[in-house]
Amino acid sequence: MTREISVELQKVSKLYGQDKVVNEVSLSVEKGEIFVLIGPSGCGKTTTLKMINQLIPHTSGNILVNGTDVAELDVVELRRSIGYVIQYIGLLPHLTIQENIAFVLKLTKQSKKLQKEKAEELIETVGLDFSHLNRYPRELSGGQQQRVGVARALAANPDILLMDEPFGAVDPLTREQLQNELLRLQESIQKTIVFVTHDMQEAFKVGNRIGILRQGELVTLGTPMEIVKSDDEFVKNFIGQGALFEVFDTIPVTRVLEKSVPLVRIHEKVDLQAEELKDWENVFVVEPDGNCKGYIPLSDLNKDGSFAAEQIEPLPKASSPDISVKLAVQEMLWGGRTWLPIVDESTGFKGIVLFRSCAALVAENGR
Amino acid sequence: MELLASAWAYFLNRQDLMFEVLKEHVTLVLWATFFTVIIGVPVGIAISRTEKLRNTILGSVSILYTIPILALFGFLIPIMGIGSTPALIALVIYGLLPVIRNSCVGIIQVHPQLKESARGMGANDLQLLFKVEIPLAFPVIFAGIRTALVMNFSLATYAVFIGAGGMGRIIMQGIRTFNTGMMLAGILMVVITTVLLERMVGVVDNRIQKRYSLSD
Repeated sequence: MTREISVELQKVSKLYGQDKVVNEVSLSVEKGEIFVLIGPSGCGKTTTLKMINQLIPHTSGNILVNGTDVAELDVVELRRSIGYVIQYIGLLPHLTIQENIAFVLKLTKQSKKLQKEKAEELIETVGLDFSHLNRYPRELSGGQQQRVGVARALAANPDILLMDEPFGAVDPLTREQLQNELLRLQESIQKTIVFVTHDMQEAFKVGNRIGILRQGELVTLGTPMEIVKSDDEFVKNFIGQGALFEVFDTIPVTRVLEKSVPLVRIHEKVDLQAEELKDWENVFVVEPDGNCKGYIPLSDLNKDGSFAAEQIEPLPKASSPDISVKLAVQEMLWGGRTWLPIVDESTGFKGIVLFRSCAALVAENGR
Repeated sequence: MELLASAWAYFLNRQDLMFEVLKEHVTLVLWATFFTVIIGVPVGIAISRTEKLRNTILGSVSILYTIPILALFGFLIPIMGIGSTPALIALVIYGLLPVIRNSCVGIIQVHPQLKESARGMGANDLQLLFKVEIPLAFPVIFAGIRTALVMNFSLATYAVFIGAGGMGRIIMQGIRTFNTGMMLAGILMVVITTVLLERMVGVVDNRIQKRYSLSD
């Protein structure tokens, strides 16, 4: 299946004098994906990013944004149509949070009313309170400022976001939180994001695809799993030992959540002929409110599929949907089971993760 | 004490004259500061962009700044005669250095990351200047204007030498007529008003610095 391309680089180079900072890089970013550019310092990742919105003009090659060559576009218009988030956040200290979020709208002379509405909408989107709107950037913590930075980039409702080490300046705990929030946000906004980082773990975590740059050249490009399995010596060294394990640590468990879990209500019968029962050893008993009461091994059911309430075995210790595949596998090993229930603290039973699905992740990426 | 008493007596006797010279003085200084800002701020911003021009202009203004005011008057009188115009020009020349220098420095020191992020969001050159650079440089620019204003206020005492009036009139006349009361009244008036002005502008400046104070 070919997907729509949002950003395309065709043999793009950047020269400073004789210095080739970026050397004939070609890549395409698909609509709605998070594309990570990573590499050691001075590899040209930030330069590559900034050429997309022409903060740095490219020397040769073509850059296409939504199918149009940026050379044919007015740079100011181009930049207004692309969200931009940087490491030092760049919130303007003389403007309130509301004015900062609405900055692009102010530049394009939108009405005050619209600016206010948009700021109110976006401050909620990034998980901050209305009361922050009238504050100044210096009154906010680093993590909060970074959230405002993301909100600001979304103000003009761009399809594309450029993020230049957006979480580089915050502490590790906050960074992880911001990464999780970005992923959650991305599920609903579905933007095309080009994300620059030097942190491999971050790349594995947020990236749908990763491009590794070295000395201005694109060394490799692929999904996190493809990157992990790369034979390239530089890539192996760069991502480090135990990278496969790290990938499992950065894949959210929700990705391997079983789509159809055999469920039955109390006092109802299990349809033993049902297609969905195939491959399962247990059925799960749910209450009318959707919460899981426990499970019954298929072998314990009566011939007609009925069962008694006393037969229901309590659910083993559940995990939250926020955990990684690596943690889920660990939980299963500790519990001596090949499956793990996932329960959200607030919304209740989410589903079941099977060991074989986790293992299949490896095979899945051999496609 | 006797001297102070005679100064006070003079002040009470000639209140009309005292307010007249104060008015002349303030008018001259305000106009001078107005022109200093009108010329100095744009020049300062302009030279923040090009390094070549910057050194030439800052160099020339510094030289002008070091000329003693009496020498400058001596230079201006043959060209423009006496009166408020040459006095105004002299004051503007002195005020230019702090205003140009601070405007230039203020703009230059705006953090490049802030400028880049504004540009990245699609600010054009004018928007970058008026919505980002000038507001962020404003505390520094204002500090320059403050220096020019206070300095001009005290320098304007010399305007009497070129026939532009001001508070210097009282002092000069007091000296010429050996009227110590008059002389002292003039001196005290200059000192007190200058200190008061400095204080007032200082309060405004502090507010501005606080309002715009940068921190991450």
